[in-house]
Amino acid sequence: MKRNVLWRGILILSILAISVAFAWPLDKKINLGLDLQGGMHLVLQVHTEDALRAEVDGDMGLLLQQAKKSELAGLGGKRISDTSFEITGVTAETRDKVAELYDKYLKGAWDANLSVDRGVYTMKPQYATQTRQMAVSQAKQTIWNRIDQFGVGEMVVQEASDNRIIIQLPGVDDPERVRNLIQSTAFLEFRIVRGGPFPTREAALASYGNQVPPELEILAQDERDKVDATKILQTVYWAVDRARTVTGRDLKNARPSRGQLSEPIVEFSLNAEGAEKFSDLTGSNIGKPLAIVLDGKIVSAPRINARIRDQGIIEGGFTEDSAKDLSTVLRSGALPASISYLEERTVGPSLGRDSIEKGILAGLIGTALVVLYMLVIYNLSGLNAVLALALNIVILFGGLAAFNATLTLPGIAGVILTIGMAVDANVLVFERIREELHAGRTVRSSIELGFEKALSSIVDGNLTTLIAAAFLFQFGTGPIKGFAVTLTIGLLASMFTAVFVSHWIFDLVLSRFRIQKLSI
Amino acid sequence: MELLRDTNFDFMKYRKFWIVVSLLLVGVGVFMIFVHGKLNIGVDFAGGTRVTLQFKDKPDLDRLRSVLTSVGFGDSEIQRYGKVDENEVMIRTRLVKGKSDGTRDAVVGALDKEFTAGQVAGRPDLNRIGADSVAGLLFAADPDQRKTQGEEAAAAHYKEVAKSLLAKRREIGLFAAWADVSGIAGVSQQVASTLEKSCALGVYTVTGVENVGPQIGKELRNQGFWAVILSLFGMLVYIWVRFELRFGVGAIMACIHDVLVTLGLFALFGYEFNLTTIAAFLTLIGYSVNDTVVIFDRIRENMRKNRRKPLIDTMNESINQTLSRTLLTGGSTLLALACLFYFGSDVIRGFSFVMLVGILVGTYSSIYVASPFALLWEQYIGAKAKERRAAADQAQPVRR
Repeated sequence: MKRNVLWRGILILSILAISVAFAWPLDKKINLGLDLQGGMHLVLQVHTEDALRAEVDGDMGLLLQQAKKSELAGLGGKRISDTSFEITGVTAETRDKVAELYDKYLKGAWDANLSVDRGVYTMKPQYATQTRQMAVSQAKQTIWNRIDQFGVGEMVVQEASDNRIIIQLPGVDDPERVRNLIQSTAFLEFRIVRGGPFPTREAALASYGNQVPPELEILAQDERDKVDATKILQTVYWAVDRARTVTGRDLKNARPSRGQLSEPIVEFSLNAEGAEKFSDLTGSNIGKPLAIVLDGKIVSAPRINARIRDQGIIEGGFTEDSAKDLSTVLRSGALPASISYLEERTVGPSLGRDSIEKGILAGLIGTALVVLYMLVIYNLSGLNAVLALALNIVILFGGLAAFNATLTLPGIAGVILTIGMAVDANVLVFERIREELHAGRTVRSSIELGFEKALSSIVDGNLTTLIAAAFLFQFGTGPIKGFAVTLTIGLLASMFTAVFVSHWIFDLVLSRFRIQKLSI
Repeated sequence: MELLRDTNFDFMKYRKFWIVVSLLLVGVGVFMIFVHGKLNIGVDFAGGTRVTLQFKDKPDLDRLRSVLTSVGFGDSEIQRYGKVDENEVMIRTRLVKGKSDGTRDAVVGALDKEFTAGQVAGRPDLNRIGADSVAGLLFAADPDQRKTQGEEAAAAHYKEVAKSLLAKRREIGLFAAWADVSGIAGVSQQVASTLEKSCALGVYTVTGVENVGPQIGKELRNQGFWAVILSLFGMLVYIWVRFELRFGVGAIMACIHDVLVTLGLFALFGYEFNLTTIAAFLTLIGYSVNDTVVIFDRIRENMRKNRRKPLIDTMNESINQTLSRTLLTGGSTLLALACLFYFGSDVIRGFSFVMLVGILVGTYSSIYVASPFALLWEQYIGAKAKERRAAADQAQPVRR
């Protein structure tokens, strides 16, 4: 018996030591959930149809362009769905050539249906899936690049089923800015201005006899106050080329800077290919204004004074932050598809902190009361239960740290609940012991029988709560998963401490002292 | 201190009375949920937006309402939240049909327009901007004149200053006056006056947002529903396997009873029903079955000892024997939960309410619902089966 007690004691102390090693220091080793440390949880929907449509437009344009090069006349193209387009104006003469072009450029990804006067081209299913997939991964990467600078702790950006992206940013101070940053499509284009400025859209139309030529379009520019960039002075309209040769894709870098009047601006530089195109564009249009278009709106339209190769600035009512954000967005690239927010949960840091403090307070008082309770009802044996409880809590936190589990607010509730329920097992055993003592058995055998008979009740009872916790883990979201994990680890630890450790403590005491009457 | 040794209450004697009481409680509960008061369904399941704001001064709820009405959200729920001196307000707007994005931007935009009207335009709001914005601002202005020591050193210094500033802001929620800013350790007078000149102090700050679109709302509803149903089913199967079907039925009846009564009281007190609440109910189911199992375990043990004893007497005996254990465990868990309910934060109050009430009701139901139902099952279905067998035997005597 004595050796048995020794070995068991060593086992228990080692488990204690391991738990402490894992869990100390507490504030560094335990992961806090977003609801406790503050932060944002976002679920985005990537509208992959945008990417599909871009592919349709792109390949349709390619086919038409090649047709023009091969001097096929009279062909027109129209997108008819997210995954298909139609080529019209096919004649008997041009038919073969069109089929040939299809074979050369489109066969891999498109199914063709070429009839007498038109061809309908549909995206192959696996190509469509692939495009959708790529849109989501690209969006994920782009978003990551944009918000990398904001997270204080571990940032999570991951793809989820149904073309969604889940973002978790702990410790964010300015959630609104982050949301805007994520969502901006930031499609940058440089276009030559052909007419304007006009005070209204109607005036612009009127100057073309109400019929804008197909190669031009009317775009708006909000002129902003230099001092207060959020104030719009007036809106003017320009007629610009539809064609865009230089876009955001040609950017090598973009960074915030200061302009002549110390106002915030964005400096950009172009890559080799972009520089070529830009040089051509500016060189052949000296004297005309160049519209810098962002998401379909003109930011500024400075006059081209000389050929520009690979550098430039964008100015026009930026604040310190918006210049920085635009640079970030331009550097990260445009989003391949638009996104919308399906779910957002933001917890401000003060709210999270408040929750922790109150949770700890409740936990401490609860523990104190339970300890008192056990001592009053079970006298010295209550001390046994208290020691077991203490070990239980240490193992619980050790387990949380070891499994890298996240402690959430419901998780704190789980800890407190575990404290209350942990004594259940002890009560079951002690009540049995009391019964046996009452029936006249010796101290030693009462203890043995007590533990033996109570075991099945303890296991059965805790098992049901564990089943409930398993379901919670399966079906729950972040904070609730945290609760399920805390409850599970807590209950398992409590079973261990109530059965094994309490038993050992009794045995230890019995082996050292002669006990006539058990204080229970 | 010993409690209740050798009691011999005849629990089962008045079981019919107590079953009626239980049915009444369930009825009242269901009434509460569906007819009166209705369940306050949270954003998790109903979709919509819930924004909590902290104001510098006592918020004028009427003014808030008129602002919201002007952007079409006149039917939103606006209420004071949390401690009185913290001036927090909760605004709840419903889902707008057709928009998957939620209404947060519209709400915050409208509030912004209303409450920043008096301020000097163009200045960033020190109560809103993040650490790097503050650091950038200070770096550009360089009030502590660190640039003489090199740009990197200056940038690092202002990053630290920004950190201290924001740590303080996190602690108190928002800066109510410039005096709050100048008193912070690590923030020099020059920095404070630079900030005062170039920034504004917003009147409110957003402390929390919950924005759930219709798709997610539907998905969460499904998840919550299946979690509860499968859980109940799982319990039934478990008890059926460990004990017998009649006991399984009794336990499930007790569970359903507990859930409905607690839900009814929950609705009565107006707590918000969201995902965390479902977690509480699932835990409640687990605990209730736990409690019931302890009694069933004892019944089974006593049945084995004394096969001839009628079930009703065995039940009585077992309940009496486990009574002290039932009360003591319930007691300790109640203590812990009462602390959580009283001292815990508002966010978790609904959760602790469910657990608190649930345990009281669960303890009651383990005695007065689980066992009587098992008894009833036995009497009507179990016994009927025996009768039929006996009748069949009489009609056709066994041939030897």
